[in-house]
Amino acid sequence: MSEPAEAPYVIIVGGGKVGFHLAKHLIERDYEITLVEKDAARAEWIEHQLGTVSIMVGDGDEMAFLATTGIERASVVIGATGDDEDNLIVCQLAKVKFHVPRTIARVSNPHNVAVFKALGVDAPVSATELLMGLIEAELGSEMVRGVAVKASGTCLVDLALPALSGYVGKRIADITIPKGGIIVCIVRAGKPVVPAPETVVEAGDELVVYSQLLDIAAVGEALSKS
Amino acid sequence: MKVIIVGCGRVGARLARQLDAEGHTVAVVDQLVSAFDRLGREFGGAMVVGNCVDEAVLRRAGIEGADCFVSVTSGDNRNLMAAQIAQRIFKVKRVITRLYDPIRESVYREMGLETFCPTTLGADLIREYFLDGVNRGRDASGVDGTAARAS
Repeated sequence: MSEPAEAPYVIIVGGGKVGFHLAKHLIERDYEITLVEKDAARAEWIEHQLGTVSIMVGDGDEMAFLATTGIERASVVIGATGDDEDNLIVCQLAKVKFHVPRTIARVSNPHNVAVFKALGVDAPVSATELLMGLIEAELGSEMVRGVAVKASGTCLVDLALPALSGYVGKRIADITIPKGGIIVCIVRAGKPVVPAPETVVEAGDELVVYSQLLDIAAVGEALSKS
Repeated sequence: MKVIIVGCGRVGARLARQLDAEGHTVAVVDQLVSAFDRLGREFGGAMVVGNCVDEAVLRRAGIEGADCFVSVTSGDNRNLMAAQIAQRIFKVKRVITRLYDPIRESVYREMGLETFCPTTLGADLIREYFLDGVNRGRDASGVDGTAARAS
């Protein structure tokens, strides 16, 4: 028998809309949370809303202050302010000075996702990028049935193969979709078929594709080519 | 030498003017167009309007061929992020960063950034002037200050 696991301790820096709702959500799931907010009035407001949450007023990128949050026992630190540079520095300090195992950063500028990864943030999350991908997929066409999004910016999407597609009657091995994309399943007449390279696709097949969210439109385009 | 300076405040603008006058190729990045007024009419370098923690903006400033990158915006974190993009992503050889917070300065210096901290430099300098004055007072009295007062 294993010991009951202790609730993971999560520190969220930035008590704006994202930080506040995130804290609320995690508290409901029994995480131990400390929310760090610079603005005393905002912190007081949050305290009234959430009650049980531990709010600390201070500068999340100030080393001396971070040390008072019990950060060395945190499993996750989340930089959730509206400023990319502040979120980056919080995550780097958590990682380098306090050896926090996992750092997550909210990223406003989608270009910064790759930058954050290169600079050591475990999981940069760009709401802008996720939204752009979703909206693009919606704009795409009737082909797209559903999209499940991962924080990593990848997704599973269900695409109907148009009857006029040049790929009808072709083998899976012959289908070219943007790099990094994989056809993980074929849904034929409501039943799943595991795709092998020699499986021949038919009109009306739905292809479940694993892809970068931003590539969905291109995947759809590739499949509709006559 | 090709130098990129981010932040066109008093320090950034002064440095840009000097380096430009000395014949270096200078590009200055700032978010505010009005900041470039500080450069004066003589300045012959490039002025790039944009966010200095955006790779595309830095590319526009010519970071890919730069020999030196200087981060002197008013925000420590902004300077740190810009400097790390320059050093780790664009592999600029010489990257110099200003940080007002002495603690953050020591952390990032340990991590391999070339940093300087006006806070400690300023305090040390003032302290030196102060001690200098105290010593000079002592010299004038010919004897140790406390002995002079006691007499």
